Amino acid sequence: MKVLVTVKEVAEVEDDFEIADLDVDPRYLEYDLNEWDEYAVESAVQLAEAADEEVEVVSVTIGPERSEETIRMALAKGVDRAVRVWDDDIEAAEFLDVASKVRLLEAVVAEEDPDIVLSGVQAHDTGFGATGVALADAIGFEWGAVVNALDIEGVLNDGVARVHRELEGGIEELTEIDLPAVLTIQTGINEPRYASLRGIRQAQSKEIAPKTLSDLGLDFSAVESELFLTDMYEPETESDATYFEGDAGEQAAALASALREKGVGAE
Amino acid sequence: MDFELPSEHRMIRDTVREFCEEEISPIAQEIEDEHRFPEEVFDELADLDMLGVPISEEYGGLGGDQLMYALVTEELGRVSGGIGLSYAAHVSLASKPIELFGTDEQKERWLRPLAEGDYLGAWALTEPGSGSDASDMDTVAEKDGDEWVLNGTKQFITNANVAGSVLVKAVTDPGEGYDGISTFIVDPRNDDGFEVTSVWDKMGLNSSPTCELAFDDVRLPEDRLLGEEGEGWTQTMKTLDGGRISIAALSTGLAQGAYEAAKTYAADREQFGKPISKFDAIRDKLVDMHRKTERARLLTHKAATRYDNGQSVTQESALAKLDASEAARKVAEDAVQVLGGYGYTEDFAPQRFYRDAKLMEIGEGTSEIQHLVIGRQLGL
Ligand SMILES: Cc1cc2nc3c(=O)[nH]c(=O)nc-3n(C[C@H](O)[C@H](O)[C@H](O)COP(=O)(O)OP(=O)(O)OC[C@H]3O[C@@H](n4cnc5c(N)ncnc54)[C@H](O)[C@@H]3O)c2cc1C
Repeated sequence: MKVLVTVKEVAEVEDDFEIADLDVDPRYLEYDLNEWDEYAVESAVQLAEAADEEVEVVSVTIGPERSEETIRMALAKGVDRAVRVWDDDIEAAEFLDVASKVRLLEAVVAEEDPDIVLSGVQAHDTGFGATGVALADAIGFEWGAVVNALDIEGVLNDGVARVHRELEGGIEELTEIDLPAVLTIQTGINEPRYASLRGIRQAQSKEIAPKTLSDLGLDFSAVESELFLTDMYEPETESDATYFEGDAGEQAAALASALREKGVGAE
Repeated sequence: MDFELPSEHRMIRDTVREFCEEEISPIAQEIEDEHRFPEEVFDELADLDMLGVPISEEYGGLGGDQLMYALVTEELGRVSGGIGLSYAAHVSLASKPIELFGTDEQKERWLRPLAEGDYLGAWALTEPGSGSDASDMDTVAEKDGDEWVLNGTKQFITNANVAGSVLVKAVTDPGEGYDGISTFIVDPRNDDGFEVTSVWDKMGLNSSPTCELAFDDVRLPEDRLLGEEGEGWTQTMKTLDGGRISIAALSTGLAQGAYEAAKTYAADREQFGKPISKFDAIRDKLVDMHRKTERARLLTHKAATRYDNGQSVTQESALAKLDASEAARKVAEDAVQVLGGYGYTEDFAPQRFYRDAKLMEIGEGTSEIQHLVIGRQLGL
């Protein structure tokens, strides 16, 4: 069995920052593994650990060489090997929209032929929340979005992903999804482990295979986006603060009616 | 000369930092208040392979180098001096000598459980009557048939009440001076006649147990002698060469933790209508704290790198330890000052760093003794 996990190195913005053209000035960015992907990696590694037969966990990322240290952290936590897609054309692309990413990932799926693909629900920086589901559509897999519990035994023994999904209003839905499938993993599904130091040392010699567009049988047209970023700015913040006067009791009463007005704790 | 850490080292540092911030930082003051050795934290450190960082993989260690070990120790110091001290004593003093001087059988029996983190270890040199002048010890081991019989008292021994092994220095040949000292492996859980007679309450570092030990006719089989008879003092010198690097690393961590606490506070705290970091006096103090911390770190990394290259480090490790311990104490004191009245309360970390830092100028050779060592190295 093979599990493919999509992982992304995301940019995190410092508290104080400036915008340069259409992006946050890189001087104010730090890079880390996307939070949702931490949980997807943990689910994948748990699948491998629970299996009697060999389960290979492969991660795939679209990102520059800089991202290797971040990817290696996933290798340190138990991913067996990694694929990193990048080249000059991707670098030069003005904007990698969901469709572009899906074209690249689709090619990797064709090469790897996984039984199950795990992705994060969304990426912390761009926040489209679409890659996993769009990929499922492209490769003709079943899919489950925003998964917050996964029955590992079902995946391993029955070829079925029994997943819990949280719906609006605190309702839980239990769905059975036949493999092959794409699941987008929600934070909180598990408790991502720390990489052990031995894991980090072993990860230094695990493979991160670089792939260019042509390696994947694609060309620059694969990263031609139909979506264009037109502006990026910090919105004016309107301060809308109310100060409640009076003693504690009066303040609490005023707060309670304000909350009720806003619909908090209605009924 | 490359000042960039290798990627592997950076990943290890970042992982340990994340663990320290999530799991240790929240309890760092509490374990001091309760004078509690946090066994559960050391179990987790064992799970992450941190308890044998510079020990060879053959005996259950991580197989890392001294630089990697210094980075890990610094990160622990940045959040908890007490955990850092117990950690450094376990690795540098209790484990490393078995790797350096033990037989294969001794390493299998005594090093593996330390490196794999089954339990912590301790190292007993200091006595009530001999501290800086450590070779002038009263603890003796006498041969009786094929056994050694150990008698004496040891003072200020880190980890001894939670340890699975204690390396004890004792006089085996009273006429021989430095060459009359040997090292023995004592099993505190199973050897009769071993007793922890007291656990000290201290100015700081109270999560790290500091014990007085009594040995009353402790009978040890011959295979508990570490290395050769009479080698105990040269072993001690080699052990301290490495140990001082870890105390320097721990001190750098204390300084870093204190500096960060002060920097964050100074950016938030407003007086006279602006953040106090905007006042020259506070800004200069913070810059100075940063300078001292960075200098301590450079000296520490230099000593560790030389150690890894197999060069002599007697002078470098003494210099790093002398400088970093002083930096930690001064930076922590300044951090208290930057926080004003809040700095003097236990709700804020600087006072804890201040208490913890003071020991770094005392343990593994006082600052006065470091001057002595360095002076001798300089031919003075
Ligand atoms: C928390 C803690 C943990 C410790 N852990 C361990 C441990 O795990 N194992 C262990 O064996 N020991 C340990 N020690 C002991 C420590 O190493 C000694 O306390 C230290 O070496 C100093 O010895 P002393 O306390 O006897 O002081 P003394 O040697 O009595 O020194 C008193 C003062 O005299 C000065 N002085 C002494 N000789 C000279 C000289 N020749 N020139 C100039 N000044 C001099 C000293 O610098 C100091 O200022 C620990 C101590 C503490 C407090």
